[in-house]
Amino acid sequence: MTGPLPPRLERELRSVVGADHVITDPDRLMVYESDGLTAYRVAPRAVVLPASTEEVSEVVRLLHGADIEIVPRGAGTGLSGGALPTPDGVIVGTARMNKILSIDAADRLALVQPGVVNARLTEATRPHGLYYAPDPSSQSTCTLGGNVAENSGGPHCLKYGVTSRYVTGLTVVMAGGEVVRLGGAGHEASGELDLVGLFVGSEGCFGIATEIEVRLLPLTEGVRTLLGIFDTMEAAGHAVTSIIGSGLMPAAVEIIDKATIEAVEASIFAAGYPTDAGAALVIEFDGTEAGLDADADRAERCCLREGAREVRRASSETERAALWKGRKKAFGAMGRIAPDLLVQDATVPRTRLPEVLAEISRIGERYGLKIANVFHAGDGNLHPNLLFDRTDAEELARVEKASHEIMSLCVAVGGTITGEHGVGVDKRGYMGLVHDEVELDMLRRVRRVFDPGGLFNPGKVVPDAVDAGALPEVSEVAS
Amino acid sequence: MIAAQPLSDLLPPEALASVDSSPLFGGRPPEAIVRPASVEEVAALLSWASREGVGVLTMASGHRVAPVTREGRFVALRMDRLNAIEAYEAADLTITAGAGAPFSSVTRALGENDQWAPFDPADVAARSLGGLVAAGESGPLRMGYGELRNHVLGARVVTGDGRTLDLGGRVVKNVAGFDVLKAVVGSRGGLAAITSVCLRAFPRPEVDRVLVRTEPTVRAAAGLALAVGTAPVLPASCVVVDRLSERGERAALVVRLHGSRATVDEEQVRMERHVGVPFEVVGDVGTGADAASSESTRRLLEGVRDHVKSDGTVVVASVRPSRLPRLLEVVDRLGPLALSCDAYTGLVRVEADPERITELDLLRRDVIALDGAIRQERISSTAMRGSADPLSPHDDRRDASAAGRTALARRLETAFDPAGALWPART
Repeated sequence: MTGPLPPRLERELRSVVGADHVITDPDRLMVYESDGLTAYRVAPRAVVLPASTEEVSEVVRLLHGADIEIVPRGAGTGLSGGALPTPDGVIVGTARMNKILSIDAADRLALVQPGVVNARLTEATRPHGLYYAPDPSSQSTCTLGGNVAENSGGPHCLKYGVTSRYVTGLTVVMAGGEVVRLGGAGHEASGELDLVGLFVGSEGCFGIATEIEVRLLPLTEGVRTLLGIFDTMEAAGHAVTSIIGSGLMPAAVEIIDKATIEAVEASIFAAGYPTDAGAALVIEFDGTEAGLDADADRAERCCLREGAREVRRASSETERAALWKGRKKAFGAMGRIAPDLLVQDATVPRTRLPEVLAEISRIGERYGLKIANVFHAGDGNLHPNLLFDRTDAEELARVEKASHEIMSLCVAVGGTITGEHGVGVDKRGYMGLVHDEVELDMLRRVRRVFDPGGLFNPGKVVPDAVDAGALPEVSEVAS
Repeated sequence: MIAAQPLSDLLPPEALASVDSSPLFGGRPPEAIVRPASVEEVAALLSWASREGVGVLTMASGHRVAPVTREGRFVALRMDRLNAIEAYEAADLTITAGAGAPFSSVTRALGENDQWAPFDPADVAARSLGGLVAAGESGPLRMGYGELRNHVLGARVVTGDGRTLDLGGRVVKNVAGFDVLKAVVGSRGGLAAITSVCLRAFPRPEVDRVLVRTEPTVRAAAGLALAVGTAPVLPASCVVVDRLSERGERAALVVRLHGSRATVDEEQVRMERHVGVPFEVVGDVGTGADAASSESTRRLLEGVRDHVKSDGTVVVASVRPSRLPRLLEVVDRLGPLALSCDAYTGLVRVEADPERITELDLLRRDVIALDGAIRQERISSTAMRGSADPLSPHDDRRDASAAGRTALARRLETAFDPAGALWPART
């Protein structure tokens, strides 16, 4: 059922979270029509903004009782449409749950609510000599709850790993409103199934995490940042393989291609990259001061051996920021070249990068599309950016076809369809490229383990079964 | 009697081993030991077992087998013939091998390219890749490298009813669907039989420095370990043992620092400054160390790693690291037993006497009071003949959501194994 909520339900929701925290005004709902993937837009029936585990539980119980779909939402920075509303559903947003509940410096742990902004956690723990390692590009706005839902990565996860490595415990609200505590530091010996690991990356389909316990790391003492300038993407790709193959463990290795360099240098974000370069590599090492110069020297030699025309090295925090600028502002700069941008996300084995990038370039030419690449090269996580104008239906159709070819290409070389943005609605159609029907069926079963009624974030992640009725319900097989 | 005819119809003769050869099951041998050579044979067996109502106890190498306390017919599934290194992409830092591949053979293959898989649970050298992943044990090196579960990039598994799934992949970042693989790692064969694993490899550090500090008591060593845990460096591991055989009957703290020589030298200085006492440099292992120092240090490390003997009854308990001194205080009541303690995760392994049920029960109560968890990791072959199990196999927190968590686990097991054919290797 679409349209306004039943008046009684709306009253009950307002009594739980406060009258001001249930949004039904169509103008205010427009903000929630999409997440960072703006190509998809759907107006929700309402948005509810609880402030505690108890309120989330009660809201979920009420919506579940009314058989209304629930779309969990963090900051809405996701790039796969994971927080896209359903026309029948209600968004349950975690924006008001933004408290850092505790910082345990002795055990290097923090307990946070899901609406805490990623970068704020590091700011809060810095005085304790600690920080939170996963650093998605949107870290100044994205929230820990969203990071848990998407199992977010970031440039520095090459060395430090993605979100799931850092989440030690969760309090989650399940379908029906039941509150369940999963994992938790100090319970290593429990011998239980790893439900925390399974919940992380579930894209809002299993429930809503309302408290998140994360592991913190000691602040690194020093950092060295290099910028390698190459004539071709191929040479830059070989340099990445050479650096990793030499035994070095950089904190980050990011690649920026010619199209992106041109866009950045023509924008207000100009970072001083040579516009005739074919590619640039941002390489960063962090850790104890004593070994950093030696590591940077070795990486520089790798770059020069693979044909870098120049390797710059930052000698101050200002210079470091300048070297990173072209990478961090790339997406903003692309707005100058085209009104719309589809940020794709796939992972390939690192050694296949040069051939995959060459083929992506050919795909762009074949479809008459400009494709700019800026991505996490160290772990083979590609982000081809397809530039287009959404008002041009014919061009949009070419974007979709080119996307499909890029995904197929990445899978064909042993990669996958998403490395960090998640499946959401955007990649659901590609799931068949990496999973056969038996595996998709298992994903559906696992989803029903957590949410037998299928009210949490329907239409996301797993494509519908050809014949859903033929699948046994978990509740049936369990009995 | 097992329905021998149907099983032998399904599988070639070489996949069926003699039952007499196995004294492993605590006096109750299986009706057959199946040693498949392909994932298809594993699928055929599990499909058959689900239909026939026969239990399947998965053993990777057979190194660790839980006592069989369940009633009913069962067969053992042994993975030792699935032991090939299937793919090793050194430049991509990935290696894929059969579940039955000895972990030592994986380590050997990686070593040819100065790479390794940094996992060091007890007895790792004698275990198989699949067994290690099924147990989900990382060992103390998780401090510097993270848990094993984060480095299992992919696995081919067969569910309890014979469905083959390729979980994860061969790339380091992959969020294409729910992370079902995480649940399989550490499930001890309760969700699926693992037939092959793709693991992330790491470059070997130039130097693996081993530092030792002996202390009069375990608690004193643990106090020092907690100080190391707040130092502005992140060691590769930090372990307390109740005694170090080479050093006499004294407790010891063993810390490993990994990196380039310059990094390790500097980190040692910073750590010692932070904790206020010097450590003895036992030696360096690694590509940048001399052979003699490497060999003796490696032996010491093996002694620390396997200090709590795996042929006895082993109890593991965990608390938040800052509560370790209190946990060790209560463990003291069990008497002078072999003990090792991973200071990073707050995990204590202790060789226990299964006859002292009262003390173990008290220990459980105290661990729960510290908001910790406890379970029996191993049971001695003597105790396997009895049915006494002084410790609950599961976390026994009295929190309000324990029932919800258990229900989720049961439903997950049912999704993977509708007929309950898999007998997980836990009591």
